[in-house]
Amino acid sequence: MAKKKNDHPDQIDLTPWAWISVGPIDPQNITQPSCGSCHPGGGGLEYDRDGQRYSARLQANPGLAQSLDGDYFQSRWDKTGVVEADCFICHLPGYDFKERTRQLKMLNYKWAGTAASGIGQVTGFVREDQQPVVSYNTRLFNNDGRIVLDLAYPPPAENCVFCHGLSDVKKRGFSWDDRVNHDVHNLQGMNCAHCHPAIDDMHNFAKGDENVSTVRDDLDNTIKTCGQCHEQGYMGAPRPAHMKIRPNHLDKLACEVCHIPALHRAAGEGFDVTTGGMVNYAKMMPPPGAKKIGQEFTWHPQYQRDEHGKLWPVNVLKAVFFTNQDKDGIHYPLFARELKKGYEKAKAQLQPKNPQRPELHTPEQIKTALAALTETLQGNKRFQQVKPFFHKGGRLYFLDDKGEVASRQDDTWAGHLEGFNINHNVAPASLALGANGCGDCHSAEAHMFKGQIVTDMFGPGGKPVTQSSGRFFGCQPWAFYVNQFHQMYLTPYVSIFLLLLVFAITLHYTGMGPKGADFYAEPAVIQRFSLAERWTHLVRMIAFLLLTFTGYIFFYNNVSMLRMFFDSPAGAVIFHWVTGLIFLAASAVSVILWARDARFAPYDREWLKKHGGYFSGTEVEVPAGRLNAGQKIFVWLTAALSLFMGATGVLLIFKNSLPLTFNCLMSTMHGLVAVIFVAAVIAHAYLGTIANPGTWRALVDGKVGRKWAKKHHSEWYKEVAAQEQPAEKQEEGGE
Amino acid sequence: MRRFAVSLLIGMAAILALAGLSALLTPSPVIAKERACVPFHLKTEDGRIINPLTGENADQPYSSRQTCGACHDYDKITKGYHFQQGWDRIKDDFDKKKPWVLSDGMMGKF
Repeated sequence: MAKKKNDHPDQIDLTPWAWISVGPIDPQNITQPSCGSCHPGGGGLEYDRDGQRYSARLQANPGLAQSLDGDYFQSRWDKTGVVEADCFICHLPGYDFKERTRQLKMLNYKWAGTAASGIGQVTGFVREDQQPVVSYNTRLFNNDGRIVLDLAYPPPAENCVFCHGLSDVKKRGFSWDDRVNHDVHNLQGMNCAHCHPAIDDMHNFAKGDENVSTVRDDLDNTIKTCGQCHEQGYMGAPRPAHMKIRPNHLDKLACEVCHIPALHRAAGEGFDVTTGGMVNYAKMMPPPGAKKIGQEFTWHPQYQRDEHGKLWPVNVLKAVFFTNQDKDGIHYPLFARELKKGYEKAKAQLQPKNPQRPELHTPEQIKTALAALTETLQGNKRFQQVKPFFHKGGRLYFLDDKGEVASRQDDTWAGHLEGFNINHNVAPASLALGANGCGDCHSAEAHMFKGQIVTDMFGPGGKPVTQSSGRFFGCQPWAFYVNQFHQMYLTPYVSIFLLLLVFAITLHYTGMGPKGADFYAEPAVIQRFSLAERWTHLVRMIAFLLLTFTGYIFFYNNVSMLRMFFDSPAGAVIFHWVTGLIFLAASAVSVILWARDARFAPYDREWLKKHGGYFSGTEVEVPAGRLNAGQKIFVWLTAALSLFMGATGVLLIFKNSLPLTFNCLMSTMHGLVAVIFVAAVIAHAYLGTIANPGTWRALVDGKVGRKWAKKHHSEWYKEVAAQEQPAEKQEEGGE
Repeated sequence: MRRFAVSLLIGMAAILALAGLSALLTPSPVIAKERACVPFHLKTEDGRIINPLTGENADQPYSSRQTCGACHDYDKITKGYHFQQGWDRIKDDFDKKKPWVLSDGMMGKF
């Protein structure tokens, strides 16, 4: 838009008068909307920046059209009239939007509403220096001359999409009342005004949150959120249970992430203004891409975080365009007429296959275009310095001092790409991500992490350059593969692994039999474990069982069970944290208590050499201290495992503040080590109970029998016996 | 006395029948409410009535300011975003970092 005050015609872009009718006027494209088509009139289409009606002011002062006033420069307001607010564009069912565009393009500003509403026919065009004349449809009028129109309040959706269908299919793949690109709210008979009602007397409508346009941010979030309708049952909205969804997903993902998993009309991938015209490119992924915007074509969104770290589905339009860096260091976008002139100069040398779509990508092509623009901009009065730049695919191309093409990462405003929110075309719950389980996002080929997003429409060889979807929201590829291992191999096979372990133990028990079975009934006379040791073991054991229970449910993401036992998944998570901290503390105490006894001694070699006698069908005598070599290994192994689980577990408590990549690694490692830990404890439990009768009671009353002690812990028994002899002698001497 | 009672009954029945008939013949208020606007005169931009049946100003386009504004507060309504699209905030020095941006709406925003 032209500034109000200008010093030279070079500085003037579109005036409001030109803005209304901008666009092609050839018969085939004349109904292609201009800016004025979607502006319903009033405001800047009726009054200038001084608040005066254009037509009246220009009639009073015709010289304004020859001045550099940005509201009047080369305008014909006195002939075309102004565009008043056209109430019918929204409120009249059957309004002819194409006719409105045609009238505006032919400069019949004042007549557009009459013709497009169908209440009258307009003949003659200002553009052709004719005086338009109206012939009203008399069948619409009563005998008293009053017109009878079936105006709709609130406006029908069909009228809203005159404009919002056009622009939003390009920005977000949006379409309404479209069986191909369905929307669950539309299927329930809802219309635009149900969610976007008027919120004041000025016809302002409830608005969502748009992170790109930053248009009227003061009206942001005046629309009801998904939660406000679906938690309170507004207009009969069903209340979702989200039984299969992990609670942190509900916190970190916008509803739209899962409920708009795909769109089925091609949005724009980007645009290229090299020719001086706006050349749009439809979605390029998945290959071979769509041929044109709005075509039936299934694609998946890109995901971006908002300022709170929440993930949203978006469509980022990649812009290919030119700027000129002026002396003040600012990159000014070039006007369409400047680009067109430059392209006309470069076209002969570029020799593009399709002159309408040059798709510059080689250094030679870019150099040619930049050189042509440098020549074009010489003498342009709106710049003090001529230094054109080409912006494409996140890089900035320019001519260096030698006239060769140089490039660097685009750190200008032009390189900062934000996506258009995708918030319509909501899928039914049965099609939402997660309806078929975690694999909807966490499987090998799921779009969430692995989908390919275009970053440069014309990369090397002119082909699009892509990047995996997860990269855009902070997940490094290696972390995704780690997470993929978790989802694809660890989760499905962990139960089978543990089942096989139990089966192997059963085979061992039936094949090798229990050792020292006759010790079970032996009187327990030797103190093996103190009360502190037994309590520590008990606390550690119970905590471990509870951790395994909750962890196992987390592993399989069974939200129903979490709710059944802990009221809510969030409650289960807190329970897991608290139990984990208790387990960690008990593990630390156990290390302190058993560290001395867990020191390895020379005789442990023999125990290890004979595998403690556990793989022999007969009773085998192996030396052992208070703890045998196997138990010593178990003490240190579980200490290490406890430390690892504690460290990763505590970090995961704060995962909402940590990078996604780090969390992927931590949760996978936490799960993997948990499986190893559980397997070790199952084996330990087996050896401490049925494999060695009489062992368990050492943890109940702390005492064991002499034969048991001599068999299982011969070296320790010797020490006990040696301590008992002096005491017995002392007792005998005393008697 | 009996004749009086019969007359009274007939009279009441007649009143009820008339009331029912008038209710049937009267346009339903629900239907009336569905129509957003009652029949109205179109007006030219200088406020003259357009009457195609008499030919009065019948070659002129209608003006929404004059036509709709006769019942609705046109000036207030057109202060809304859809009509202003940034024009109510436009100024030459709107954004110093991006001097070509003159407003935060479609009229003036890049």
